Amino acid sequence: MRRAISAEWVKLWSVRSTWWCLMGAAALMVLASVTVAAALGSHNGQPRTERLAATEPVVSAAIFAQFALVALAMLVVTSEYSSGGIRVALQATPIRGRLLAAKALVVAPVMFVTGVVSGAVGAVLTYVLLRMEPFRAPVTLAAGETVGDLVRLGAFCALVGVLTVGAGAALRSAAGTLTVVFLLMMGLPLLIMMTGAPALIDASMRLPMFAGLAFMESVENMTGGPMPYAAGEGLAWLLVWTAAALAAGYVVLRRRDA
Amino acid sequence: MITLRGLTKRYGARTAVDDLTLEVRPGAVTGFLGPNGAGKSTTMRMILGLDRPDAGTALVGGRPYQKIENPLRTVGALLDARAVHPGRSARAHLLALARSNGIGRARVGEVLEIVGMDRAAGRRAGALSLGMSQRLGIAAALLGDPAVLMFDEPVNGLDPDGVRWIRRLMRGLADEGRTVFVSSHLMSEMQLTADHLVVIGRGKLIVDAPLGEVVAASAVRIRSPHAGDLAVRLRAAGVEVSRTGESQLVATGASTERIGDLAHEAGIRLHELSAQEASLEQAFHELTADSTEYGSRV
Repeated sequence: MRRAISAEWVKLWSVRSTWWCLMGAAALMVLASVTVAAALGSHNGQPRTERLAATEPVVSAAIFAQFALVALAMLVVTSEYSSGGIRVALQATPIRGRLLAAKALVVAPVMFVTGVVSGAVGAVLTYVLLRMEPFRAPVTLAAGETVGDLVRLGAFCALVGVLTVGAGAALRSAAGTLTVVFLLMMGLPLLIMMTGAPALIDASMRLPMFAGLAFMESVENMTGGPMPYAAGEGLAWLLVWTAAALAAGYVVLRRRDA
Repeated sequence: MITLRGLTKRYGARTAVDDLTLEVRPGAVTGFLGPNGAGKSTTMRMILGLDRPDAGTALVGGRPYQKIENPLRTVGALLDARAVHPGRSARAHLLALARSNGIGRARVGEVLEIVGMDRAAGRRAGALSLGMSQRLGIAAALLGDPAVLMFDEPVNGLDPDGVRWIRRLMRGLADEGRTVFVSSHLMSEMQLTADHLVVIGRGKLIVDAPLGEVVAASAVRIRSPHAGDLAVRLRAAGVEVSRTGESQLVATGASTERIGDLAHEAGIRLHELSAQEASLEQAFHELTADSTEYGSRV
């Protein structure tokens, strides 16, 4: 297992797309954080008076920036199929579950670190921006709270990455994987919200996007308020979706000829 | 040693590999011949555990591929030279493979040198010519210093120098006592490289015999000023001969060596004595004619 992970590590860092995706994810995260911060910094033209954690805009930003990370996690699997390298990879590591696990275990920490680091930059910029004119908002960057928020953000990114690895193994093509993960992570929940049907919306709260918002304790977001359940339950639902995607990927990888 | 027992693979109604039973022995180059679509690549993929057989088993050194720990140290295979991420350098590709099987970094440099790629090691795989890609694929196969090597159509797309290099390499590997299993759809190529031939058509085994036996069944072209006398002598020795011209004969069922010796014993001068490559191709064609998957009617 250690050897398979080491090989995947070399493979990840020896292609340029990895660097592009990571830079894209970091840039998106920081830019979206600042944009959301500016929106939250005032209310109908009036300065904001309620307290705002500097990590709050970062959580909303992550819902957008995650797609650059999804692209990276997807390529770890689908580029093997588009190049034919999957056959070489399985010659070297013929136990298929081991190969899939190695990919997930390499993607997860990279996603985590990218989430934490770019989230920290986004939070600091949010703090600096909202302290300035014209906002002068009561923004806070308390050490304990911030670290907790950033760790949860990193964990969210890691889980989305692993979910994408599973989806990639199940679907094999880049276009299919990107479409399915985008629908699951954003398209579907937004569509359901637009229907305005309460029963549907209630059910959609367990989709990974809302589960992620709950897990990261988002208070101000597109749903208009906090999630209807606790952070722990959000994490549980995220884990369920990730496990389901990995299981689907494992079954396909195991059953089908490479 | 590669052992196939009743190996079968079906794709829907089509049977790609049909009850294939054979042994590929060490210390020899075994040519794996068949027309396009005969099931050669499918067989190789099943040996490597990439495709699951519908029946039968494929063992390498007595074990199924998935049961071999660090398999690159036991089996090296080149299936498709282009199957490398186009953005990854040759060296990084080999390093990742080395890491996956606990092979030291120094070995990467060694195999790059063996295949003559040490100066192109930093180039991205997508920027390599087909010949260079083949060399990279062979470097990957040699990485684990394996006892069993498999090459699928290794000379495709190579220039004459590259072809000669691969022939020498395969010969050398077999002489070191390794099992070398190489597929081709070109009889003429195998005639120059292989010690043993396995011929399949439509997934079925047609021939499993030493090269000499297969070649002996093919034609030899002879020119001699005493063609008539020679024909009599050869027929007396049990060689099938037909006269194709005033001073020309075509013999079947004997090697050039045997015919030369017979002519020498009879004191008959020869102006030409040549194994007919075209006839070898013909023999191959006849062997597989009924089993060509996508044959054209001429």
